[in-house]
Amino acid sequence: MHIAICIKQVPDIAAVRIDRERMTVVREGVQNIINPSDYQALSLAMALKSKIGGTVTVITMGPPQSEEALREALAAGADRGILLTDHAFAGADTLATSHVLSKAISRLDPAPSIIFCGNNTIDSDTGHVGPQVAEELGIAQVCGILDVQAESEQTLLAKRMGERYIETIRVGCPVLFTVRKEGGTAILPGLGSLQRAFSAGSIISWDKEELGLSDDETGLAGSATRVWRLRATPLKIKGDIITGQAQELVQAILRKLESMSLVDEDQRHE
Amino acid sequence: MNRGSCLVWVFGDYGDYFQNRVTLQLIAKGKSLAAELDTRLGVVVLGEDIGQYVMEYAAHGADVIYAADHHALKDYDVELFTAVVASWVGIYRPEIFLAGATVFGREFFPRLAKRLQTGLSADCVALEIDKESGAFVQTTPAFGGDLLADVITPQHRPQMATVHPGTFRELSHDPFAIAELIYPPVPELPPRKIEVIRRRQERAHKASLKDAKVVIVGGKGMGSKANFEKLFQLAEILDGEVGATRPAVDAGWIGEERLLGQTGKSVRPRLLITIGTSGALQYTSGIQGSETVIAVNRDPSAPIFSVADLGIVGDADRIVSLLIEELNRRL
Repeated sequence: MHIAICIKQVPDIAAVRIDRERMTVVREGVQNIINPSDYQALSLAMALKSKIGGTVTVITMGPPQSEEALREALAAGADRGILLTDHAFAGADTLATSHVLSKAISRLDPAPSIIFCGNNTIDSDTGHVGPQVAEELGIAQVCGILDVQAESEQTLLAKRMGERYIETIRVGCPVLFTVRKEGGTAILPGLGSLQRAFSAGSIISWDKEELGLSDDETGLAGSATRVWRLRATPLKIKGDIITGQAQELVQAILRKLESMSLVDEDQRHE
Repeated sequence: MNRGSCLVWVFGDYGDYFQNRVTLQLIAKGKSLAAELDTRLGVVVLGEDIGQYVMEYAAHGADVIYAADHHALKDYDVELFTAVVASWVGIYRPEIFLAGATVFGREFFPRLAKRLQTGLSADCVALEIDKESGAFVQTTPAFGGDLLADVITPQHRPQMATVHPGTFRELSHDPFAIAELIYPPVPELPPRKIEVIRRRQERAHKASLKDAKVVIVGGKGMGSKANFEKLFQLAEILDGEVGATRPAVDAGWIGEERLLGQTGKSVRPRLLITIGTSGALQYTSGIQGSETVIAVNRDPSAPIFSVADLGIVGDADRIVSLLIEELNRRL
């Protein structure tokens, strides 16, 4: 069984600050990490591999430094990494990103039976790439899964959160799953995988030519959407803001609750 | 109005009662966009025995309803729905196409956009037609909600967007409203590859949080799990429910099922008291339907005060404790 995983290296968004005066994103001292739900996808893939065997290929598209994310995935037990990097890939929306990833996946031999993606990234948070890769490859998709088990040689049982239900889904291969961040367990690297992570040849790099892509299919040129402008979330004041002693503040809340008839007026003070 | 054209579409997601509401909210917004573009608002609805939804959408303002009533479409399926809706887009060529960012909407719309080779923006918090350029501007939170990105789709059509439930307000129900009902041809359907073999209902309080008239939300500023748990006392006295922001969930003070905001639930209570929450847009997008908001935060410059009707600058735990004491005294 060949399993492929798409991951993305993202800035640790909790540490990113916005300079509201200059309208810039302050990235200084911010670490890059594997996107959390992608990491969880990696964890499910490794669990599946340990039960049914096979090989795990990790794919990422990004600047050359994204190789770090691949090394981390190799350390966690993946067998090989593929880095998709080219200046022409920059500025891609999900339409163009899913195209490059799909092209790379369709070059894998043997074709993967299972593809994992994270459910959403913490930096752009669209959740589009997984379903769009499934569409381009023409395979089934199951989004937002919490867990997956092999049922037979060709079928899998996945558990996912529906709108109000936890659903168990049966699906055959080939299939693409997107994985939610929750409920995951950390992967402890073994010695063998640590060695592989830093050995030569375990990561290969493909660019635009290698993938047979033209300029108008990738990056900004291959994107349908444009970010027209970025602006700070408005800080307009809607109501009253009051300061004072805690006791006075609580009285102000109570008056509001009284005015909404949510509590009775205080008899003792009348 | 251009009677012939119907170029703003909404996907009719009736998956459950709450999803149904997001469709109604989008009909209201889509109708105002359609008016600006001098066209009509259409709703696409697929399923079996969908008469009740057709009536509901008409009563809430749909001008045209494109329907498929077909046994094979009885249950939601991304690939089947993509096949049908993509063929209809090919026939009618809408300019704008909206869907709720529900579990199904998030899975279906990206696949549909890819098949149509067009752009899609996710989880929009505002949609408008730019007066100067005429562009359809889709506003989506960026960088964890500290920034807003205005996204446009210059060339590709339709311009697609998903919208968080609770962002817009539905129109009132008009039982005498009339809509045009069209049954476009259903193309040959692909095989169903996915089988739901079991559904387990989540704990009942999930629904009650969405329905609650009073919601008390705690954030990281509650300081500890023990402090956070006092919010349940407060909620009980006010006959409300407890919600939480992402940092409080991540701190392990409360389960994911109570998470509000972009990656959680949206609520529209009469009163929402938000305590120790900074007010990141990822959270506030889930509470913007609240009628009245009281915010408690130690930092007077916290963005949460921009959405509050009453802002209290003070220590979260101290205020909560005193408020519980005072309310208990009055009981």
